[in-house]
Amino acid sequence: MSIGTERPGFLTLTIDGKITEVPEGSTILEAAESIGIRIPTLCYLKEIPPLTSCMICVVKVDGKRNLVPSCATLAEEGMIVTNDAPEIYAARKTALELLLSDHAGDCMGPCQVACPASMDIPAMLRYMAEGQYEKAIETIKEHIALPAVTGYICPAPCEKVCRRGQMDAPISIKLVKRCAALIDLAQKSPYKPDLLSDINKKVAIIGSGPAGLGAAYHLKKNGVSCTIFDDHDKPGGMLRYEIPEQKLPGSILDAEIEQIRCLGVEFRQGVHIGRDLTLKDLMESFDAVFLGIGNVSENSIKMFGLDTDQKGLKINRDTLQTSMPNVFAGGDIRKGLKLAVRSLADGRKAAEGILKFLKGEAVTGNVRPFNSRMGKIGQEELSLFTDSTGTNKPHVINTFDEMDKEEASSESRYCLHCDCRKKNACRLRTFADEYGAKEGKYVGARRTFVRMKGVHDIVYEPGKCISCGICVKITEKQGERLGLTFIGRGFDVKVAVPFDRSIEEGLSKTAEEVVNACPTGALVFK
Amino acid sequence: METPDLKKIDEIIASTGKTPDKILPILQAVQKEYGYLPQSVLEAVCEKTEITPAAITGFSSFYDQFRFAPAGEHIIRVCLGTACHVKGAQGVFDAFKRYLHIPGNRDTDSNGLFTIEPVACLGCCTLAPVVQIGNVIYGHLTPDKVENTIKNYLAYHKAQKKQGAHVKARGLSGDIKGEIRVGLGSCCQARGSGHLKDAIEKIIYETGIPASIKHVGCVGMCYQTPLMEILLSNGSRYLYTGVRPEDAKDILLKHFRPGNIKKRLMPVISKGLDILLSAGESQSTPRYAIDKREKHVADFLNCQRNIATEHCGSLSPVNIDEYIEFDGFKALKRALKDLKADEVISEIEASGLRGRGGAGFPTYLKWRAVREQLEKERFIVLNGDEGDPGAFMDRMLMESYPFRVLEGMIIAAHTAGANRGYLYIRAEYPLAIERMLEAIKMCHARGFLGDNICDSGFSLDLTIVAGAGAFVCGEETALLASIMGQRGMPRLRPPYPAQQGLWGRPTLINNVETYALVPWIIRNGGAAFAEMGTEKSRGTKVFALAGKIARGGLIEVPMGVTLRRIVEEIGGGIANGLKFKAIQIGGPSGGCVPARLSDIPVDYESLADAGAIMGSGGLVVMDETDCMVDIARYFLQFTQNQSCGKCTYCRIGTRRMLEILDRLCSGKGKPSDIDQLEELAHQIKQGSLCALGGTAPNPVLSTLKYFREEYEAHVNGRCPAGKCKALIKYKVTEDCIGCTICAQHCPVGAITFKPYERHEINIDMCIRCGTCKNVCPEKAVVVE
Repeated sequence: MSIGTERPGFLTLTIDGKITEVPEGSTILEAAESIGIRIPTLCYLKEIPPLTSCMICVVKVDGKRNLVPSCATLAEEGMIVTNDAPEIYAARKTALELLLSDHAGDCMGPCQVACPASMDIPAMLRYMAEGQYEKAIETIKEHIALPAVTGYICPAPCEKVCRRGQMDAPISIKLVKRCAALIDLAQKSPYKPDLLSDINKKVAIIGSGPAGLGAAYHLKKNGVSCTIFDDHDKPGGMLRYEIPEQKLPGSILDAEIEQIRCLGVEFRQGVHIGRDLTLKDLMESFDAVFLGIGNVSENSIKMFGLDTDQKGLKINRDTLQTSMPNVFAGGDIRKGLKLAVRSLADGRKAAEGILKFLKGEAVTGNVRPFNSRMGKIGQEELSLFTDSTGTNKPHVINTFDEMDKEEASSESRYCLHCDCRKKNACRLRTFADEYGAKEGKYVGARRTFVRMKGVHDIVYEPGKCISCGICVKITEKQGERLGLTFIGRGFDVKVAVPFDRSIEEGLSKTAEEVVNACPTGALVFK
Repeated sequence: METPDLKKIDEIIASTGKTPDKILPILQAVQKEYGYLPQSVLEAVCEKTEITPAAITGFSSFYDQFRFAPAGEHIIRVCLGTACHVKGAQGVFDAFKRYLHIPGNRDTDSNGLFTIEPVACLGCCTLAPVVQIGNVIYGHLTPDKVENTIKNYLAYHKAQKKQGAHVKARGLSGDIKGEIRVGLGSCCQARGSGHLKDAIEKIIYETGIPASIKHVGCVGMCYQTPLMEILLSNGSRYLYTGVRPEDAKDILLKHFRPGNIKKRLMPVISKGLDILLSAGESQSTPRYAIDKREKHVADFLNCQRNIATEHCGSLSPVNIDEYIEFDGFKALKRALKDLKADEVISEIEASGLRGRGGAGFPTYLKWRAVREQLEKERFIVLNGDEGDPGAFMDRMLMESYPFRVLEGMIIAAHTAGANRGYLYIRAEYPLAIERMLEAIKMCHARGFLGDNICDSGFSLDLTIVAGAGAFVCGEETALLASIMGQRGMPRLRPPYPAQQGLWGRPTLINNVETYALVPWIIRNGGAAFAEMGTEKSRGTKVFALAGKIARGGLIEVPMGVTLRRIVEEIGGGIANGLKFKAIQIGGPSGGCVPARLSDIPVDYESLADAGAIMGSGGLVVMDETDCMVDIARYFLQFTQNQSCGKCTYCRIGTRRMLEILDRLCSGKGKPSDIDQLEELAHQIKQGSLCALGGTAPNPVLSTLKYFREEYEAHVNGRCPAGKCKALIKYKVTEDCIGCTICAQHCPVGAITFKPYERHEINIDMCIRCGTCKNVCPEKAVVVE
């Protein structure tokens, strides 16, 4: 069957119902690209012949019994290709899930996963280790509006899961963070985030505890005017009135609240909502309201006119939107949060929901990104971590109540760098997200976590290798003396430098090209 | 470790060449020289040749044949082929390791005397379970025979060293009164036909009986090996089966009078013989000549039709004159002189011949496709990498009919216009390689190969490449990669080898049996071949029949015969009176057809409909004591182990399937496992790059289809066939007479030695090897 005109040297095919004309010799993948149909690939690199290894680019071709890899299958005249169909989706998902089942490596470090505010702790530690204090505070404030406060009172679940703890002692993340925050506060002009341009919307925030302060910080950052109403004399809520001075000095709290005020957040203290003003009043004069009023009774919630369920306040847990679309809530008003850091995180989450609401977008929760987790690792793998980071961290005692710059930097250097160096650029992670692949779908033997660090910049973590062969082909093509090769066969196949030589000897001139081409975090720079 | 002598490398390279494609012969020579591949030698090879370090490490680590550590003095190769598996090969393997005290992760004993290696298939399925030590093959092993086997081998080895060259037959003069034929296929040799041949030569020498000895190829009746046939000049023929060397003299003297030289010694010999005979009769089973009309022989032979195996039992494997006498090379001459290439293709088309390697692609289409290519440099390749555990047809054809295989290949080369070619034969078939090599030399000498073949102007050169142990190389694109000196990784087709094969040139690649059928077709016409078989599957098919049947062997039957006839008539039904449960067809790519469906005809389509495939032709029959989950696991273990590791579905998917099956067989299965297994099987089938991965789930899917309840039983902790070790217990019943035989044989001492008391098995110590059950004279050991 022929469709369309017959131009010499060209052929016509149909992909997902769209007709396209491509030069003879084009692959299905190239044909799809030419009409803007994106097919996922991992092992494909334009410059080298197709490797047909990952198989996530499979498509269906009418008349063929099995699915075909689009990267290597040549387009034919009259070919009818299906890319967007449940069976293709399922096949790709399976391929991804199989790859993930044999993947040894974390996307995010266990500390970041454990952090209620999902702060990028490893990044902060690396900045602190290098003495880049401003970058460190910026990293913290991306998620946590009150770094010093939490540096005092956070129970630090991050430290409980720190892999270093399996060997000697966990990194004292809390103290490092406190140090970073105090260094910042001691500056003439402490760190201020860039504020996005004003979107001309106003939000009323009831309660100046961690939830309210968190919401205000993140809303203001995104160009929203914020007014905080609080019935006490001074802002801070439970941070000020429930936590004793010796645990959290008032001066620290004052200093950090001052940072938020400096952004342009308006504080109206001594105003009791329900007595001085009603929620209805606020709803009339503001575009949205955030309730961060702490642990209150079900009756109080009902008095605001909000719905309740068995768990108290009825709320969408992903967006923190209440039964009234313009009212959001967070912090201890939701039962069982208890931790200040969780309330801070709630404030940020609510800010995201409110922003969507204010912009007229659908109020949906942000999907949590795919995250590969190795979980607890065995002693053998642990030693492979240690080998590359130096051993014998001085044991830091938790009663240590202050850490100076040098101590914090040196402590930070013991971080094992569990998080992936390509966590934001890994295509395996991107597609796992896109296809909703589950890491634990197939359970079985997986690769061992190994980290090979060269003297220079290159790091090779074979556990994250998907055996696609791109690096092997590149080193072959560029005439590396040793290069990389596949060793073994089948499930146990691995990519390595011949004759057990170091990764640097293998990549004497192709390191950069190979790192850029590696679709996962297997080959990276330090 | 001593430093290897690097001087030998220069000699090796001088004989092989230095180009990257010579990597396989170079490494094989290095291993032969040094016993393994020392890294210093590999590095030196890289310096002295065009082979890169990446290529040499990648290539050598891909193939099973290569070792990276010194091996023991003797290699014990335990066959884990299908037929051996169903007859307990794993138990034998474990027993060897236990006896030699080789720990789980090692392969060599502490004295460096023995190295133990599992092998996919030694191709002696009718003798299962089979073990090869050095160059000696031992059949029908059980765990309790391990000790004796090793002792026997060491004694044999010592004797060999002492004896040096064996007795040569002396030249015969005068009237030859008859011919003694001895089968020398691998199966026959494995059962001692080599020793038998030596014994006969010795007897001829000593007694001067007027007979010549002749080696013939496989007769197919492997269940009766070693076979000896006596043809007298008066035309009478006597076939003796299961002949041991010590029986030979007795039999020969029945038919021949000793020659003049020793005539005067006759009375002495006769006297000696009388004693021997009576002693023999009291101690061993007497051997009688069997008549081909005898029922079991007739049954075995009657439904067969010999095309690829024409003149079976009477043709000497490497006697070119005899081959010519039996119409050999007539077809070649006809193809070269009387027919145009298109006419040859038409004959092949008319014959309906389809590729015998497994997929059944019409042969004439391949030939035509190569012929029609514009590129003039073309290659011809023989796929002799028969790797299916449980299949040995191609081995037998190459060992017994090397000229026929070559003739078919030369005709194909001429038709396709190829002037160079390769025979890729797996290294596990040394005899096949030897015979093909000899046959090629003879063909050169007679002008059937080389320049200007039979004055036709056509020239062809053939080279043998010994495979290095990778099942995936049976896949044609992987095989071609291997010939070119690369890792045996399949690639996507198209382009097909016919378009772009070896070094990008058009390449015609066919299976051994396919080539072997060609001469008959050209001689007798395609129509005659097409008269046999079914509508879509014409002609005959050679099968390796093994497993739990009474008579295993190599058979050639017309397509369309039913599985039941093969099992019941040819195979004589299930041995030991057990129930026929299923038949596994097509090896790791095939499936299990249950007994109730065994009335289906053997043809490509019917087998595919039943969830199996024709494959290369391995038929393994299973009885009620065979567990279908275990069989599925066995095959998955095989394919998973043989996966090249290129594509995700096969590399990781088959492993995950295997892990599920492992869980089921060890009693740790979950109800959701069966669904996940099935789902994964479908995904792997439709998504894998090549046929190895694409068909790997077949054994699982077919057993799930017909025996799902067995899977469910395993989830509930039960193995209905009583096979899966973790789910069974051995128990001694009240029938026990307290004879202590089981206690004496138990390899782990799990049975206390208590004469005249009912024995008891310590379940915690028991390793479920089944020895007690096998040795109990009262059948008082049962599986629960």
